[in-house]
Amino acid sequence: MTVSWRDVARKDFEDAVRSRLLWGLTAVFVAFLTMSLLSAEQLFPEPVTVDAAMALSGVAMLAQLFVPGIALAVGYTAVVGERRSGSLRVLLSYPFSRGEVVAGKFAGRLLVTGTALTIGFAAASVLVVALYGVPDAATFVGFVAVGVLLGLTFTALAVGGSAAASTRGRARTLTIGSFVGMVFFWKPVVVGIYYAVTGSLPGVRAESWYFLLKRLNPLEAYRVVAGAVLDERVDAVPEFPLEDVPANAPAETLELSNRLAGEVPFYLADWFSVVVLLAWGLVPVLAGYRLFEDADLG
Amino acid sequence: MTAIRTTDLTKRFGDVVAVDGLDLRVREGEVFGFLGPNGAGKSTTIDMLLDYVRPTDGTATVLGMDVREDSEALRERVGVLPDGIGLYDRLTGRRHLEFAIEWTDAADDPDAILDRVGLDDRDAARSVGDYSKGMQQRLALGMALVGDPDLLVLDEPSSGLDPHGIRRMRDLVREEAERGTTVFFSSHILGQVEAVCDRVGILADGALVAVDTVEGLRKTVGAGSELRLRVTEDPGVDIAAIDGVELVRSADGFLRVACSDPRAKARVVTRLTTAGVEILDVDSDDASLEDVFTAYTTNGGVGNTESEASVPVEEVVP
Repeated sequence: MTVSWRDVARKDFEDAVRSRLLWGLTAVFVAFLTMSLLSAEQLFPEPVTVDAAMALSGVAMLAQLFVPGIALAVGYTAVVGERRSGSLRVLLSYPFSRGEVVAGKFAGRLLVTGTALTIGFAAASVLVVALYGVPDAATFVGFVAVGVLLGLTFTALAVGGSAAASTRGRARTLTIGSFVGMVFFWKPVVVGIYYAVTGSLPGVRAESWYFLLKRLNPLEAYRVVAGAVLDERVDAVPEFPLEDVPANAPAETLELSNRLAGEVPFYLADWFSVVVLLAWGLVPVLAGYRLFEDADLG
Repeated sequence: MTAIRTTDLTKRFGDVVAVDGLDLRVREGEVFGFLGPNGAGKSTTIDMLLDYVRPTDGTATVLGMDVREDSEALRERVGVLPDGIGLYDRLTGRRHLEFAIEWTDAADDPDAILDRVGLDDRDAARSVGDYSKGMQQRLALGMALVGDPDLLVLDEPSSGLDPHGIRRMRDLVREEAERGTTVFFSSHILGQVEAVCDRVGILADGALVAVDTVEGLRKTVGAGSELRLRVTEDPGVDIAAIDGVELVRSADGFLRVACSDPRAKARVVTRLTTAGVEILDVDSDDASLEDVFTAYTTNGGVGNTESEASVPVEEVVP
C-alpha cells in the first residue's frame, strides 16, 4: 500500500475548496453566463426571434474567452505555486513520484474547474428555460459538455505550463501567452502561411490543409464542435476578416463543404475537432511533466 | 551498515560548483551534524539525497538505496524537515498531520505528535496560514516524525524557533536517536550541533574539510581550553613562555590565555600571583567550537588558527 496521484488530487482539491479563488471564479462565471444570456438578443444584428439554441450560440461566443480564462486562472499556479512556496519540498518528502504529483495536480484542478463550470452551467440552464423556453435536451447537454471539454483542455494547458515553469511569472507568460496567441495570432499566422505557399489569400474556396491548420487551434475546435451541437454558427471573438471572402456572403456559401474542392476529408469532420480538443488536453501536461521530471527543484 | 553514503557527489549550477566531489559516510544509528556556513552546499547535498536536485556527477545511497533509482522507496523510510519549506496555508495543522499519516501509511496518533513538538489542540485547529514561522517549523518537524522513520533528515531545523523550541527540538533528536533512528542534521550554528551530535562534518565551498567527533575536532585544531583572567594592569610577566601555553591575548582588561594542556592554567595563575599581579577574576572555558568552525571554514585553514583571531585583540609582548 503506497501513495498515489489520488492522494495528491484529494489534498489539492481540499485545499482549493477552501480557497476564495474557486468560489470567486464560480461567482464570476455565473454572473458572466447570466449577463450574456440576458443580452444574447443584442448579439444578433438583425431583429430576429432568438430561440434557445441561438441564445446558447451567443453564450458560446463569449464562453470561448471566459472558460479558458477561468481554467488558466485555476491551473497556472498548480505546480509552480507549490514549487515556489516550498510546500512541494514537503510533498515530495513523502513517497510520491514527480509523475504522481503532476497527475494528481491535474486531476485536482480538473475537479476545481469542473466544479466551477458545472455550477455555472446549472445556473445558466435555469435562465435559458426562463428566458428562451426549453431547449432541446440533447442540444443543451451537448453544449454543456463542449464547454466543460474546453475548460478541461485549458486546465491541461495551465497545469502543463505550471509544471514546465520554474517561476510563477514564467508559468503565467507561458499559459496566458499561449491563450493570447490562440486568440489573436493563430489565424493571421495561418493566413500568412497560406499566402506564402499559394501566393494569394484564402478565398471562398481554399485548400483543405488551410482549414486543418485553422482547426488545430483549440478555440477554433471549440467553435466547430459547439456550432455543430447547436446547429448555429459560433463566430470567433475577435474576428479577423483576413480571408478574401465577400463580407455579405450568405451563410450557405461559407459552409465548409462548399469551400472545398472535393469531399470533406476526415480531418475536417466535426468529430476531429473533439480529437483536437482532447489532444490539447493531453500534450501540454505530458510536455510539462517531462520538463518537471528533469528539473532541479532546489 | 551506512545510512548515507555519497561518492564523488558533485552538483554544478552553470559555472557555480555548489557541491564538489563530496564523499560522505553517515553510520546507521548515529546523530550526524552537517555543518557549514550559509552557501557551503549543505542544502544542495540534502536536496540531492532526496532527489529534489539531480547530481552533475557521482552517486549517493541512502539506507542502501540509490537516491535516484529508488527515490520513492527510500522516502518511505526517511522523515524530512526540508529547508525553505512552505505548508498549506488554508489547511489546519491537524489536517497536515493527518495527511502525513496517510501518506506514510502510518498509525500515528496526531495528538501524540502535536504533543511531542509542543503544539496544543487550539493550535492544531487553526489554519497554518495563521501560524508563526516557529509554529510552522514545529508542525513540519512533527510531520517528519510521522511513521517512525529510520532516518531523519533535518535541514536547518532550528530556523525560526525560539530558545525553548530549539531545546525541544534537541530533546526530540535525542529521543529519536535512542530509538535507533539515524539523524542527519544540518546547521550553520555550532552551538546547536555540539550538544546532540555523535559526529560532525564540516562543509566549506562544497567540500568536506573535516569529519570527526566534537571532541576530536577540538583536539585537531589544538585549541584545548582558554583561561580568562581579569587583571588591573598589564602584568608585564612572560606568560607565553610557560609550558602548555599557546597564545596570550589581552583586551579590555582581560588576559586570554589559550592552553593546549589544562595543567598550564594553574601554572599561569601561580606565576602571576608570585609576580604580585592582582587577579580580579578567573574564568575558564573549553575552546568554543565556534573557533574550530572558523578555523576550518575560512581560507586560513587549520594550520593558521592562531592568526585567525576575529576579535580586535592585540598580542601581549612580554
